[in-house]
Amino acid sequence: MTRMSADLVVIGGGVTGAGVARDAAMRGFRTILVERADIAQGTSGRFHGLLHSGARYVVADPRSAMECAEESAILRRIQAEAIEDTGGYFVQFAGDDPDYADRWVESARAIGLPFEEIDVAELLRREPRVNPSAQRAMHVADGSVDGWRLAWGAVDSAKAYGAKVLSYLEVCGIEVTDGQASAVRCRDRRTDAEVVIDTGFVINAAGPWAGRIAALAGCGEVEVVPGRGVMLAVGHRLVHSTVNRLAVPGDGDLIVPAHTVSIIGTTDVRADDPDQLWIPRVEVQQMLDAGERLVPGFRQARIVHAWAGARPLVKDARASGTDTRHLSRGMVILDHASRDGVRGLLTVIGGKLTTYRLMAKGLVDLMCEQLGDPRPCTTDTEPVPGSESGHTHQVSQRLRDRENDRLTEQLLCECELVTRRMFTDALHENPDASLDDLRRQLRLGMGSCQGGFCSTRAAAVACAEGERSAAEASDALRLFLSNRWLGLWPILQGDQLRQAVLDNWIISGTLDAEHLPVASSGSRR
Amino acid sequence: MKRIVVIGGGLAGLVAATKLAGGGSSVTLVSEGLGGLQLSQGTIDVYGYNPGRVRAPMAAVAGAPAVHPYARIGTSAVRDGVAFLQDALGTGWLVGDPEVNLQLPTALGVLRPTALVPPSMAAGQAQAGQRWAIVGFRQLKDFGAELVAGNLARAELSRGGRIEARPIVLDLPPRSGESDASGLVYARAFDDPAFRERVVAALRPLLDGETAVGFPAVLGLTDPEAWTALRDALGVPVFEIPLPPPGIPGMRLGRRLTAVAKQRGVRFLAGSRAIGHEADGLRLTGVVVGTAATPRRLRADDVVYAPGGFESGAITVDSRWGIRERLFGLPLAGLDDIDRLITDEYWDDPQSVFSVGVGVDAAMRPVRSDGSVVYENLFAIGGILAGACRWREKSGEGIALGSAMAACRAIEAG
Ligand SMILES: Cc1cc2nc3c(=O)[nH]c(=O)nc-3n(C[C@H](O)[C@H](O)[C@H](O)COP(=O)(O)OP(=O)(O)OC[C@H]3O[C@@H](n4cnc5c(N)ncnc54)[C@H](O)[C@@H]3O)c2cc1C
Ligand SMILES: Cc1cc2nc3c(=O)[nH]c(=O)nc-3n(C[C@H](O)[C@H](O)[C@H](O)COP(=O)(O)OP(=O)(O)OC[C@H]3O[C@@H](n4cnc5c(N)ncnc54)[C@H](O)[C@@H]3O)c2cc1C
Repeated sequence: MTRMSADLVVIGGGVTGAGVARDAAMRGFRTILVERADIAQGTSGRFHGLLHSGARYVVADPRSAMECAEESAILRRIQAEAIEDTGGYFVQFAGDDPDYADRWVESARAIGLPFEEIDVAELLRREPRVNPSAQRAMHVADGSVDGWRLAWGAVDSAKAYGAKVLSYLEVCGIEVTDGQASAVRCRDRRTDAEVVIDTGFVINAAGPWAGRIAALAGCGEVEVVPGRGVMLAVGHRLVHSTVNRLAVPGDGDLIVPAHTVSIIGTTDVRADDPDQLWIPRVEVQQMLDAGERLVPGFRQARIVHAWAGARPLVKDARASGTDTRHLSRGMVILDHASRDGVRGLLTVIGGKLTTYRLMAKGLVDLMCEQLGDPRPCTTDTEPVPGSESGHTHQVSQRLRDRENDRLTEQLLCECELVTRRMFTDALHENPDASLDDLRRQLRLGMGSCQGGFCSTRAAAVACAEGERSAAEASDALRLFLSNRWLGLWPILQGDQLRQAVLDNWIISGTLDAEHLPVASSGSRR
Repeated sequence: MKRIVVIGGGLAGLVAATKLAGGGSSVTLVSEGLGGLQLSQGTIDVYGYNPGRVRAPMAAVAGAPAVHPYARIGTSAVRDGVAFLQDALGTGWLVGDPEVNLQLPTALGVLRPTALVPPSMAAGQAQAGQRWAIVGFRQLKDFGAELVAGNLARAELSRGGRIEARPIVLDLPPRSGESDASGLVYARAFDDPAFRERVVAALRPLLDGETAVGFPAVLGLTDPEAWTALRDALGVPVFEIPLPPPGIPGMRLGRRLTAVAKQRGVRFLAGSRAIGHEADGLRLTGVVVGTAATPRRLRADDVVYAPGGFESGAITVDSRWGIRERLFGLPLAGLDDIDRLITDEYWDDPQSVFSVGVGVDAAMRPVRSDGSVVYENLFAIGGILAGACRWREKSGEGIALGSAMAACRAIEAG
């Protein structure tokens, strides 16, 4: 058993937890963040990718809209590297209620949300693939945000301020001594070792899993309803900016360009277990139809991958049982001192990725207040490591980089332009990382071949670099390919099915990977 | 003289066209792309796993389940197909025996069963007690010598015992200053004696009495002596290990077979896709080809359809999971609910969708589910046939050769 101590233990390495760890570390608290998997492998890596300008909420929830407007502006300053400044359009199409557009304009003006109405002809000039039935179009300050980079940026900043960030550490117990949270018990999922962290304060930021964490401290009945949303990525950029329907927010009314792909989403169906999020074929068809409405011909585009995330929403008596969209979108903070008589424990649930910094601030402010130790928040002024230049990322950036190093570097992943050096640097920095962990940082295997060519190269390089034995590299390869399949099988058709067959001919036909000697049990999770 | 149109230029189409032209028919081969042969590892797989490891492929062919293409093709067509190919290629192209599988290393270091191989691979037959050096090149990313050697060293041979294997990585670009070279560039470099000398000079001091040396399969593209020259200069048996596409051994076979087909009088309409057909009742009378200028009609007494499967686009899956044969709209066998055809299992059973294809009679004529023939003179061969997941079974070449022979017999008899 390993024993550590901290002023604050943050549970959950999604953006919220990462933001809390950064905020607390910047205020000088000795902070430890524990995450049961990789950073941002929960909801923060299974979302839609939209940096909200607030435009989506102007009618239904003007306060959220303003928060989004302010926070997205702050993130552009402090986490530019995680953001692509795409801009966005809200478009009323034939058949959409024209009154809604009027109400939207009115509300946007009332709260001072910046937007510009443009001619439909101008919209179609800028976004030629958008459905020409467009009636009205508003340009807004939406952006595209990489959830992994956002979370890693906050984590790197937290570390720079002395925080410890421990991944693959699963919280399995919270000790409460005399009504005060006093220690967090964890299990290392790689080694099975036990780790106990003595602490004076615990912030539970476990997203859809937060109810389970609260229960570990004996605080019952925090019911978190996972609202499952399905997203599909098309293998190229159908649009340059985000394209929303100018209508009451609903299923599949948004396309977000993200790196080399465009993402359509999303659905919202109640799920039982955030660890078992199915991607039903009916919802895939629903998203294809929705995409077709926004961008005619969408069905002929190449769908490369699908995923599902869980909206971590606290159940509210006002909501009906199955449609979680009616639940409050705002965050909920549970103070377990007043609620359950457990001091030094806060639970945060819900919110948006875009407003994670504000949520973190609110939590750490509350902690300071409870500790009687007020310290000011400074997270809004200082850029995180890697974002000092203030430059947002561009889809063409890698191409430019490769133009410069093409004579000296080897490309491991041609689809996403990942070089051997990028891979080995990431590997040496994260020696325990799985190939999926590295993929989330590098986009290795995220392109149209979905790992058919690059996965074996990556495994071979990990072995060549001495970071993995042949057995470990082979297991890593097997796990990587079966994890990629999770997002492939529900959408496999058209050109991507054809690609999958070519990949099979390589991985199975030529390389016979299914007969690699299996050292471990080759588990799927 | 019979006019025959063969559609598809992979192994099945090339072999059928060569055989029929050699038998005196007038054969036109229409091919949109290059075919899988040019991408493949250049081995002749007959039956590698069913699903356990197969030692005697022909015995496994004889025992294939009723839905399997081999159940209709039969053993004699497979044997004839393999023999025909060996004979057509000439001596020195393929060694091995369809009765017994070899176990040869892959570029992941797995010992993979296959029946016939180019002679340049033969010394890779795994036997207990061997000591191998596995040679990679820093500039060739598709072959990680450390991973290959590491996996070979931990492999338990099916007859017991182990191999010793250690990696050697040479920092030797095929062209000076090149840091990211494909197998094809290396293969061209190995055609050049000067490059081979540099490899030998770099490698010889590093060898330590190994019983054989394994290389990525890039030992020459056009020079058939490249690998023997290397072997002789090193003074130790040498073997090639196939890489992902582009597959140099497959390219060598493809080029050779194309040359033989041309010698025997096959006319090639390359880069053209067959886009339609003409029929008179139950008989096809012609094939429409989309050539550059205008669609062109080729009259045909018989049509051999060897278009490959999903990978080549011959069978398509649309966005509502509708599965279709593209050219003739042939009935497909193995169709089922999409949730049963594609599942979340990656490593377990192969996905059933990949066994969907055209069902045929013993003459390789596409049939409906009631067994009735679609066209009397249409013969479907190779990857389009239903009932096998060829990359899992390692049965692609055997099915291609056997079905080509079965179709040729029926055509020549008819
Ligand atoms: C379908 C969908 C689309 C969305 N689209 C957008 C969008 O476009 N823009 C936007 O701004 N917001 C969007 N959101 C909202 C946004 O994704 C979430 O608000 C945000 O990611 C929540 O982050 P989090 O850190 O609270 O939760 P999570 O990211 O889920 O983090 C919780 C973490 O806790 C960890 N954990 C769980 N149990 C334990 C344990 N026992 N021990 C240790 N760790 C544990 C989990 O592994 C997980 O990493 C979307 C959400 C969904 C579901
Ligand atoms: C903005 C954005 C852009 C994207 N762009 C691309 C792209 O261009 N190309 C591409 O291929 N993909 C893309 N993706 C999808 C991405 O590759 C993943 O499929 C997705 O983010 C799921 O996360 P993952 O990689 O962590 O998990 P997965 O690869 O899905 O799974 C990894 C692990 O998580 C477990 N797991 C699976 N589902 C869940 C779940 N619901 N809850 C908890 N654990 C689970 C698995 O068992 C496995 O252990 C994008 C995702 C986002 C959010």
